Amino acid sequence: MSHHYIRFDHVTYSYPSGIKALDDVSFLITHGEKVGLIGANGAGKSTLLLHTNGLLMPERGKVVIGDIPVVKKTLPDIRRTVGMVFQNPEDQLFMPTVEEDVAFGPMNMNLPREEVQRRVSESLKEVGAYDLRSRTTYTLSGGQQRSVAIAGVLAMGPSILVLDEPSSNLDPAARRMLIDRVARFTHTCLIATHDLDMVRELCPRTIVMAHGRIMADGPTDDIFADTGLLERAGLC
Amino acid sequence: MTTLEKALTQFDAAERASHRHSALHSVDARAKLIVTLLYIVTLLSVGSQQLPTLIIFAIFPIVMCTMAGVGYDTVALRSLYTLPFIAFVGMFNPILDNTPMLYIGGTAISRGWVDFASIIVRGLLAVQMVVLMVITSGFNNVCRALRSLGLPSVFTTQLMLLHRYIYVLIGEAIDMDRARRARSYGRQRYGLKMWAIFVGQLLVRTVNRARRIHRSMLSRGFNGEIRAFKITSWRRRDTLFTMVIASAIIICRFINWDRLLSFLG
Repeated sequence: MSHHYIRFDHVTYSYPSGIKALDDVSFLITHGEKVGLIGANGAGKSTLLLHTNGLLMPERGKVVIGDIPVVKKTLPDIRRTVGMVFQNPEDQLFMPTVEEDVAFGPMNMNLPREEVQRRVSESLKEVGAYDLRSRTTYTLSGGQQRSVAIAGVLAMGPSILVLDEPSSNLDPAARRMLIDRVARFTHTCLIATHDLDMVRELCPRTIVMAHGRIMADGPTDDIFADTGLLERAGLC
Repeated sequence: MTTLEKALTQFDAAERASHRHSALHSVDARAKLIVTLLYIVTLLSVGSQQLPTLIIFAIFPIVMCTMAGVGYDTVALRSLYTLPFIAFVGMFNPILDNTPMLYIGGTAISRGWVDFASIIVRGLLAVQMVVLMVITSGFNNVCRALRSLGLPSVFTTQLMLLHRYIYVLIGEAIDMDRARRARSYGRQRYGLKMWAIFVGQLLVRTVNRARRIHRSMLSRGFNGEIRAFKITSWRRRDTLFTMVIASAIIICRFINWDRLLSFLG
């Protein structure tokens, strides 16, 4: 029995500026589910994702990953479990070369060097970026940066994959490669995106957000058939 | 290409140069660090009036450039960026010390000017050795070498983050400059007020970007220390390199070149 689920219980969060980004958000994503998170800009999608990794902490309510509540002392376990791909890959690539950047997470997990090397090679091959391993991260194209950013997360062997706008700035071929890669990921996956076609293809379940609240949560086909709902959410 | 884009390209060129293969590139960063530190300390201990010794010390960066397969002109040009700062250090010497020291074509050269020239030469040579160390090792490897030689990780991590921040800063400045030029319709000059706004915006943008980068680092388990992926083991050739170059530096320092040259002459 696996415990790779994401549970939000009445989570509320406001930014220091006073903007309420999440308002009483509750849901449960069970092991192996692929869930699309859609909503207009400013709906609270990115804020919600940051809570799954403990990068933001709820003002009220609680977030539980597997059996572990997201609190300060559990952060190392949480970050080992939840792999997060950020909206802008430029923000994620930190180290001077591709290989070093992909190794950044596994090194922080104190894995043996041989294991890190194996994971780096495997994850780079997985995203089709193995030939880029010696390149400096600054010289990569947008699509290559995205691939390397995903490899950096996959190398940590996460049980839950959280992606923030993964297909933005990708050309059709790179987008197709990404979709195929995510489709092969067998564990839990939460994808925040405006790419509704990708959600339709990858995610049997969709959560719709607006103004920090969940407007709807259900089977993707039902959600997409409700044009009134999508209009109210600012999605068409 | 704009000045900013050139700056970023040059900055990145230094990092890319560290991935080449040469006799010097293959030497462990720690060995190069030890030799560079010894060179700088020894060079600083050379008296201002010992000009032949200073000239002999100029041979080291040239030899290192040959070992690295890098043109000396490249390294010398890079060191010139620091010339204003070095000149600032010695700028008061010619004013404060007017004692005539030597005569060239009947013109008396004061001790102050000789000291000034000596500071410039020593400064540039020291910078050239540091440049060589960085372009043959990579900045992060130099930081790790510093760490392994006992510098606290809080300093080495800060240096690595600073290095990354320079990329962020120039990258953001390029984006802002492009946006400005796209709407400037050929206008080249802007007032101080516009530049003040530009710098303020740049600061805000880079701080926000740095925050996002920090978040992504945290999400991958960053806990205050950047761990090295590839650690090269210290080999016999590193010992040999350190011994040979360090011995040469010490010998060059303690030979009385004035007396030797007059004896040979």
